[in-house]
Amino acid sequence: MDLSNLATMNPAMVLLVAAFAAPLVVSVLGAVRYDLVPRAAMVMTALAFLVAIWTCFQDDSLVNVPWAPTWSMNFYLTLDGLARMYALLATGIGFFVVLYASKYMELHLLHDDRPLSEQTRFFGFLLLFMASMVGLVMAQDLILLFVFWDLTAIASYFLIGFDRNEEESRSSAQMALLVTGITAIFVLLGALWLFAIHGTFALPEIIASSDGGRNAGIAVGLIVLGALAKSAQVPMHFWLPRAMAAPTPVSAYLHSAAMVAAGVFLIGRVYPLVAQYDWLMDGLVVIGFASMAVGGVIALTRNVLKQILAYSTISQYGYVVAMFGLGGEKGVIGATFYVLAHALVKSALFMTAGTVTEATGKKSLSDVGGLARRMPLLAVGSGMASAGLIALPLTIGFFKDELFFGAAHARGSEFAVLSVFGAALTFTYILRFWKQTFFGKLRTEPREVSGLLVWPVVVLGVTTVVGGLWTAPAVWIAEHAASVSAGATAHIHVAYHLDSRPENVMAVATWVMGTTLYLTRSLWWPAALGVAHLGEFFGPARGYRVVLGGLNQLSDSIHRIEVRDLRSRVATILFPAGALVGLAVILTPNRGSFAVGAIGRDDLPLITMMVASIVSAVVVVLVRDHFRIAIGLSSVGYSLAGVYAFMGAPDVTMVALVVETVLGIFIMGMLALMPRPILRFETEVRAEKRAVRRDAAMALIAGGITFFVAWGALSRPSSSTEVIDSQAVLTEAVHGKDIVTVILADFRGFDTMGEVTVIALTLLGVISLLRSGRLR
Amino acid sequence: MPVIDRQKYAGLLATGARILLLPCWLIAFAVMLQGYSDVGDGFSAGVIAALGVLLQGLAFGSEELDRMTLSRIAPILSFVGLGIALTTVFTPLMFGEELMTHWPGIDGEMHHFGILEFATPVVFDLGVFLVVYGFCVGSVHAIAREEVRQGKVRERVRNLRAKRIKDLHADTTGETSA
Repeated sequence: MDLSNLATMNPAMVLLVAAFAAPLVVSVLGAVRYDLVPRAAMVMTALAFLVAIWTCFQDDSLVNVPWAPTWSMNFYLTLDGLARMYALLATGIGFFVVLYASKYMELHLLHDDRPLSEQTRFFGFLLLFMASMVGLVMAQDLILLFVFWDLTAIASYFLIGFDRNEEESRSSAQMALLVTGITAIFVLLGALWLFAIHGTFALPEIIASSDGGRNAGIAVGLIVLGALAKSAQVPMHFWLPRAMAAPTPVSAYLHSAAMVAAGVFLIGRVYPLVAQYDWLMDGLVVIGFASMAVGGVIALTRNVLKQILAYSTISQYGYVVAMFGLGGEKGVIGATFYVLAHALVKSALFMTAGTVTEATGKKSLSDVGGLARRMPLLAVGSGMASAGLIALPLTIGFFKDELFFGAAHARGSEFAVLSVFGAALTFTYILRFWKQTFFGKLRTEPREVSGLLVWPVVVLGVTTVVGGLWTAPAVWIAEHAASVSAGATAHIHVAYHLDSRPENVMAVATWVMGTTLYLTRSLWWPAALGVAHLGEFFGPARGYRVVLGGLNQLSDSIHRIEVRDLRSRVATILFPAGALVGLAVILTPNRGSFAVGAIGRDDLPLITMMVASIVSAVVVVLVRDHFRIAIGLSSVGYSLAGVYAFMGAPDVTMVALVVETVLGIFIMGMLALMPRPILRFETEVRAEKRAVRRDAAMALIAGGITFFVAWGALSRPSSSTEVIDSQAVLTEAVHGKDIVTVILADFRGFDTMGEVTVIALTLLGVISLLRSGRLR
Repeated sequence: MPVIDRQKYAGLLATGARILLLPCWLIAFAVMLQGYSDVGDGFSAGVIAALGVLLQGLAFGSEELDRMTLSRIAPILSFVGLGIALTTVFTPLMFGEELMTHWPGIDGEMHHFGILEFATPVVFDLGVFLVVYGFCVGSVHAIAREEVRQGKVRERVRNLRAKRIKDLHADTTGETSA
């Protein structure tokens, strides 16, 4: 690529191409040389990250080309401040995650005795995850946004369920997909609703023309609902802790810069709309603080390392959502900055958990301890990240809490108290997480681990501290991002002040309260555990299980009724069809329909053929061996072909004759394939009386109704022959003389095309079934 | 099941089958090509052509179907036909027309060569013919081949069982089976 050209290229397009090139290159390469996949993933992510950094030195750019113009859909991307921040996170954190995963996945697959070639699938989906995040944050067309939104859900499904041999993984992946996928429908509904109001899917135009109407409010509310589920906010939070069944790099990514971040990103993207509705803002505050409390309290009680962090994520994004709800410039800036800071520290902490598990083989806090002496570098790296999360000074995390406290205090003192309490919870469980992992008694001797499992944590930890000392880059990024959400230029002032301003007092209060909570944990432990258990029994996760179980049962019972055996299947089609059509016959005015016409001498041949077909049909019911049944069925067909002939339909007659012949050969062939003893058994065994009566009743109902319908239709021919006449005229116009053929090949050619495709595919099915010998 | 003396009718069936093959194909082609002016179309033509070939199988057994090129390439023909049909459906898109726009159009002039008409519906019909022909011959052939295979398996099982019974018998009478 020529660098002088690069300057004139559209940064948004370059970034999108760079991001989507990554999964493509890795997947294609993986098909040939899977051993090169981790290195290729590193290079491609680094490239995407560099492009993302490069875009920071470019002006905002946009791509807007018609995509499906008849439906007003455009391929509309904007690389603005908000997109830049999330793209930096997705590619930057993505780079460290890939670095970490390059070693982690090798060990993970070795532990499970799985081939290393599965790395291709992992890195392919991980990078697709990254690419769809990059696409999502730039999308301005709501439908395009929805496409990327679902793409993240699909990528995360395969990543969470990567260990597909484990039931836990599979059900977690399913839960994540169902919760985020079903709520994604709300996003789509909201988008369509906004389209109905504004006549466009382009977000900037919608924002410019929105007037705060009530309907638009509900539409925006639907979009926010989808966003909240993606960000794992109460009460749709339960999928996130389960999602840690994924390999650790996925968790690190999902919790910091992808999936969960996508939710708050979307709120940030539509924030100018959200801010018009007080009820939406209040809802955000309530859900935010509720998530903070629920996530925080449960995180206190967890023992599994990754679970502590997972519930922590719910709580941290609760902060973000609450800040968005508190509103004002302070709220928006605080929320945006919070996402940035949180992504850095949370990815580092998840990687720490993964490395600890890799080194000791233990997953729980109670099984590890005193690791600081054995793994000092990891302890320092994750210590810095933890300090960032609990907002100690000299880290970037300090400012995220300062902004949070500022926003809460600006709204009122009760919010200030709540926010201090929430922050204190975070302080306590992170202190517990870090201190009990690295200090105290050494419970499990760790193995030597690769530097690739430690250094990403250290680098992210150092970044946390550097960001606290040199705030300019983070502030610049967050300012530009917040300006987009706020709809006006936002300014962030972060600095250390040694005075008793409210933010500082609240910070000190948090540390004091957090330390007290940690020291007195034996006192409140049972109560917190009780709350957590209560949530497990009565929480939304139970509702999810009940609904899912019910759906499964419903599906099973329908399956049992419909496809238990051939008889039931035929009955489930014939009986409802007969009953419904019968209902229609009864409800349709049918005076004069069921007339009995006169029978003339000319009708004798026709009647003869009809009698023949009736006799064969009755014989089919009476005989018991399969050969005779097949012959009888053929007779019915041939007699009917005769009936068509006498009614003046030569085309139909010919098709009926030849098809009947082939069908006969078919049935004979199938009978010959079936094991003789089974055929004999079927012939000799007598069906239950009840079953016979049931079958007879259903057959009579279906057959009788069909009889009446045919009678009604034939005795009163349609008075309008408009369609037939017009087609007859058209047949001449298209140089045809036989109307049936012209209809088949031309007027209704699409139907023929579909039928022909089905025939060819059926042949494929028959041959593949028989060749592998399964038809026995 | 009534027992049919195969020997008695074999000559008649075989002769009839051989005599009928060519007429079957002629009729099939006629039915397809003149479909636009008279009774018939690619679908029934395909079935008629298939019946001609399947008749050989009925008369001479499935080995005859294995031997005949017309039946061996039937599944391939079926997908070739699908390709032809889909091509005629989608090609107009490349010329900026709607899907399945036929040529010549309403105002166009039809060119003839005997009863053969140069028009895309005829090409489409040829595709339908091949799909249907390939399906009928291909699937019946697959069934017949499976039948033969199963017959062989059954025979092998029967022979093995007979051998074992013989061996057992030999053991009980004190003789050694070599």
